[in-house]
Amino acid sequence: MEPLTSFFAVSVILLGIGIYGLTTKRNALRILFSIELIYNAANLNIIAFARLRDPPIVTGQVLVLFTIALAAMEASVGLAIIMLVSRLNVDIDLRKLDRLKG
Amino acid sequence: MPDPVSQIIQLVTSTYFLEIVVFPGLISIAILGAFFTWFERKLTARVQLRIGPLYSSPVGGILQGFADIIKLLFKELIIPEGADRFFFIMSPVTALIIGAALLGLIPFAPGVQIANVDVGLPSFLAILTLSPTLVLLAGWSANSKFPFIGGLRALFQQTAYEIPLWLSALGVVMITGTLNLTGIVQFQQNNGWLILPQALGALLFIVTSTAEMERLPFDLPEAESEIMMGWQAEYPGPLFMLVQGPAFIKLYAFAALFSTLYLGGYLGPAIIPPIVWFFLKTIVIIVAIMLFRSTFPRVRLDQLLRQGWTTLLTLSIVNIVIAYFIVVGVPAI
Amino acid sequence: MTDLTFLALATVTVASAILALEARDLVYGAAALGISFLGIAGLFFLLDASYTGVFQIAVYIGAVVVLILFTVMLVGPQLGEPPLELKRLSLLVALLVSLLLGTAGSLTSAAAFRGPDNCGAGCDLIRLSTTLINQYGVPLEFLSLVLAAAVIGALTLAKADRKG
Repeated sequence: MEPLTSFFAVSVILLGIGIYGLTTKRNALRILFSIELIYNAANLNIIAFARLRDPPIVTGQVLVLFTIALAAMEASVGLAIIMLVSRLNVDIDLRKLDRLKG
Repeated sequence: MPDPVSQIIQLVTSTYFLEIVVFPGLISIAILGAFFTWFERKLTARVQLRIGPLYSSPVGGILQGFADIIKLLFKELIIPEGADRFFFIMSPVTALIIGAALLGLIPFAPGVQIANVDVGLPSFLAILTLSPTLVLLAGWSANSKFPFIGGLRALFQQTAYEIPLWLSALGVVMITGTLNLTGIVQFQQNNGWLILPQALGALLFIVTSTAEMERLPFDLPEAESEIMMGWQAEYPGPLFMLVQGPAFIKLYAFAALFSTLYLGGYLGPAIIPPIVWFFLKTIVIIVAIMLFRSTFPRVRLDQLLRQGWTTLLTLSIVNIVIAYFIVVGVPAI
Repeated sequence: MTDLTFLALATVTVASAILALEARDLVYGAAALGISFLGIAGLFFLLDASYTGVFQIAVYIGAVVVLILFTVMLVGPQLGEPPLELKRLSLLVALLVSLLLGTAGSLTSAAAFRGPDNCGAGCDLIRLSTTLINQYGVPLEFLSLVLAAAVIGALTLAKADRKG
């Protein structure tokens, strides 16, 4: 079994890639990709910590089951919003969408 | 240097490798896939009072599947002009990989199972959830209207019928108490085949798996008379074979899963070896699913989605309640 | 043997994550995101969390990637990304350098947290399900309510443009 720091390093690298995507991309869909990557980095971290402590506990897996379901829900609502915006505006550049309706 | 050579020979002749490559792995999947194409055409023909494939070999055209493969390999490979080449070619290839991966999880005989994982049943169903993605990508990548419509229809249909599929398999899990496919077969060895207490579940499973495989009466995504073969329309010669292959492999995998969950897998009196029992049960289910094709007309899209989301979902929840009462016992009301 | 598997899975995950953000065509990005999720599921299997890995495949790759692909196909092709401004660039570099230093610092004490080889009760499937139902039953019910709310919300949003 790999030591905890290897899994932690993978999780931190994914977090870094997610933050890079979140701050530098303009396309709303790419920002959604980054958010999903950050979710996955966090899930990997939780599972690694729960498994590689002494003794291992099962609570990490329970938590990750919840967060996977919540992330899927949030992605579906976000995608519905993006599709609606693209129908009204054609452009889903997030830096241009800075007005509320009316 | 004899040492690496002997290691390689040891690897190649080890049981695991033979299981993966020959049986129940890749070569047997390929041969059985070709056999099932012939079998379906012959069976459908006999039901429709025709003869079916006849000329490929002395014995009723049994080599028709292989003849078709050889013919398709020699055809010209035309990819449409604006098509996305990567996904156009990779979607059927990945679908083949998924079909073969499904068969790795099923116990063919005591001890003959490529991957005996503790979460065998949800792994099977989870790998299945990858197929709507691939059909959507295949339909989109052809850059043409009919394939895209077919791909979207496949997405709606397969997504709608996944939930009743998972829920009807849940009934089995509630009764047996294990997710391991070998454990389910061993439960049936002690307690009788699960098709009796789970008759409703078995019926739901066969209906939803026919919908998942996009076979008639649910073959709207590749509707032959409506949208010109749907998402498979733009696939030329050799790629067409790659596209039809996963359909038959999924049929084989689903029939094998049905016989493992509800008919006791490889169990049976010891006069015939277990592997023959397994194949007998699988072929009975395959014949039943193929008879659906010749018997029922195609379901319309709105009927399909409405039935999937209302009737089948309600019936699968009823099935779970029935399984609950079987496990806990009637006085628990 | 485990080292090679971990290295291969980690490389696939990180490489496809970078590809998901940098691919010019969004459909390639979505497919690369799916492969990254598959790598994460492989890492879950490596960590003896087999049911969670199966759940990840079924939910993330089976549902979220399909939804993303569907939206990408219906939204259509978009313009490319412009280059970064200086303020954002310096902020981003500071963040990434701090993450990198933190990772490097933790890797120096690499051998410190080599967890137990045998998982025992921490990865048992029956233990997982009993904990989920007994201790976390109420959050599970709330999760189903939130799911219902999300589904109703997404359906309402998808229908909104027909009336308005």
